[in-house]
Amino acid sequence: MYTFICENSIDGIFTGVYDAWASGHGHQNVRLISHPPENYELFQEYIAVAPDSQKSEKVAATLKNRLGEEVHYLICQAILANELTTRKGGPDKADCVYRTIVLGLAMKNGSRVLEALGEPYVHRVFELSRATEAESHHLLGFLRFCELENGVLFAAIHPKNNVLPVLGEHFTDRLPLENFLIYDEIRRLAVVHKAGKNYLIADASSLNQNIITQYSQNEQTFRRLWCAFFESIAIDARKNPRLQQQNIPKRFRRDIVEFNERT
Amino acid sequence: MYITENLSLTEKLKILSDAAKYDVACTSSGIDRSGNGRGMGNTLAPGICHTFSADGRCISLLKILFTNECIFRCAYCQNNCNTDAARASFTPDEICTLTMEFYRRNYIEGLFLSSGILISPNHTMELIYETIRKLREIHHFNGYIHVKAIPGADPLLIEKTGFLADRMSINMELPTAQSLRALAPNKSRAAILKPMRMIQSGITQNRYDVALYRQAPRFVPAGQSTQMIIGATPETDYQVIKVAESLYQNFELKRVFYSAFINVTHNRLLPALPGGPPLLREHRLYQADWLLRYYHFRADELLCEERPDFNVFLDPKCDWALRHLEYFPVEINRADYTTLLRVPGIGAKSARRIVKARRMNRLDFTDLKKIGVVLKRALYFITCSGKMMYHTKLDENYICQNLMRDKTQIPKELQNSGYEQLSLFDAEHLADFGINANACSSLL
Repeated sequence: MYTFICENSIDGIFTGVYDAWASGHGHQNVRLISHPPENYELFQEYIAVAPDSQKSEKVAATLKNRLGEEVHYLICQAILANELTTRKGGPDKADCVYRTIVLGLAMKNGSRVLEALGEPYVHRVFELSRATEAESHHLLGFLRFCELENGVLFAAIHPKNNVLPVLGEHFTDRLPLENFLIYDEIRRLAVVHKAGKNYLIADASSLNQNIITQYSQNEQTFRRLWCAFFESIAIDARKNPRLQQQNIPKRFRRDIVEFNERT
Repeated sequence: MYITENLSLTEKLKILSDAAKYDVACTSSGIDRSGNGRGMGNTLAPGICHTFSADGRCISLLKILFTNECIFRCAYCQNNCNTDAARASFTPDEICTLTMEFYRRNYIEGLFLSSGILISPNHTMELIYETIRKLREIHHFNGYIHVKAIPGADPLLIEKTGFLADRMSINMELPTAQSLRALAPNKSRAAILKPMRMIQSGITQNRYDVALYRQAPRFVPAGQSTQMIIGATPETDYQVIKVAESLYQNFELKRVFYSAFINVTHNRLLPALPGGPPLLREHRLYQADWLLRYYHFRADELLCEERPDFNVFLDPKCDWALRHLEYFPVEINRADYTTLLRVPGIGAKSARRIVKARRMNRLDFTDLKKIGVVLKRALYFITCSGKMMYHTKLDENYICQNLMRDKTQIPKELQNSGYEQLSLFDAEHLADFGINANACSSLL
């Protein structure tokens, strides 16, 4: 048995898929993992895979051509998911992606591979993909920008999954003429967008913590207005904190202005 | 009436959002429009909820009235000209600033603009038109806009507004013309349906225009919706969903909203409702509404003249299934999509997934669980490869008792209520299910 240890990223796992396939050991004799194992097993050969953008692009191109854009998108989304928070104990994400791709390429109509929910690894990919999708859809609404002194819009988030690519795409389309920064404090990554340009995802471990607390003059005014609206729009006769909590879970609230500001 | 002058923007926003809060339509769905790279904003067909207020309802749009001054005197409305409420009006520029600045900070998905009738319907519609024209043309706002069409306004004005808005709505207010006459003397059924028909034909016409010229301006692209107040007048559930069904069929509405009546004006024409607003009834109507729109049910299948109200204990779909056991059990690996849709515990999404997944391999109960079927409800009605999940009887009485054992299905209001309220519950109704009131209360 051969185990390929890949980096936990789209490039990393796709490179792993390429190497595992190209190794020629046979699908049943290879295994992919996206985290270094806790215990190395005897009679197992471990191969570390360094992410290689060329190999990764080849895999991505094959997926798009043979399985379709949608399957490629959903698989990427699954890779961005955090498997530790999505139903623990399932098979490793990288291996599931590999086996799903193998199945898809063997099928007559590969674009239907993710419909085979009876297969456990396809189901896992589907589940992980849905976790990212659900959280990023939540954050499309729950994310809050504040205007900094220099006019830049800044938002901090603490997501379970790596949702930055989805958010970057959405807000670049929505606010093309704004400079904005979306900071994932857990992964220390940020979406950086300059007015009129496309966004990029950058390492933000050296982000200046001072700048992001200096708000512009008007910021406080609009926060107060928003909080006032938030209070007065609720109907007292229908008060239902359980429903509210179900709809907007508490873990999101630390980053949402109307739950932290008291007017 | 209070004389109010020189209110601050915060005070105005408080008054005019408070006045708009009983309008339920706060969805931002129905249209996909990507950003144009110049202005600000895009829209997503599924809509986005930005936050949820203390009552648990979604806040998606900045829901405000242009003004809460009103010349009408609808008995149920807190803004009618006889109530003693603080009055305020925005200016178009104030609304534009609020919308743009809130939208930039991702507080909202767009604007929901309604209004009291100031001076005349035409004058009010003119103000609304002017506001959203500024928003679209001067501020280049490309997000979602939902506006009310004011009944009785000039059709030309409504048409002009429709080319700028994404969704328009005209409230039915009450399900029958008779109730409308009694509670809203300034409104009439005809005056409400006329602009609704006009918008419908506008949308149909626009579909041809867009097919001919791709660049043709879009008219109310996210469709129109309406709203009915539930519990202010004696209409039955059957009447309400019949009206909703005919609105969907004849007026091609996207949504009909139901709003549980809350007595804010304490008018003598209105019921007192000591137990609070009829939230459970509203909930059942929404469930039935989904059955009409996505599950191929007809209103006559769910209710009839003899049984005009929904069962409070079971949702409309379970209720229907129990009365039509002749259709069950359904074989998961063979039944067609529309049959699957009618099984309690299988929703539109899981039905779609089942139809696709069973192409590859036979499905069993563990697969169904993974797919998202609610087995605790579905297991009485389905077989996988000819086998039921447990040894359950296909018997109305038996299934009903088991379904009711699931505490989460029984609404909170009923869980908390004691035996007394249950015994008030129509004994005949319970007899339909072969349960007597005593057995029922012991289950709860």
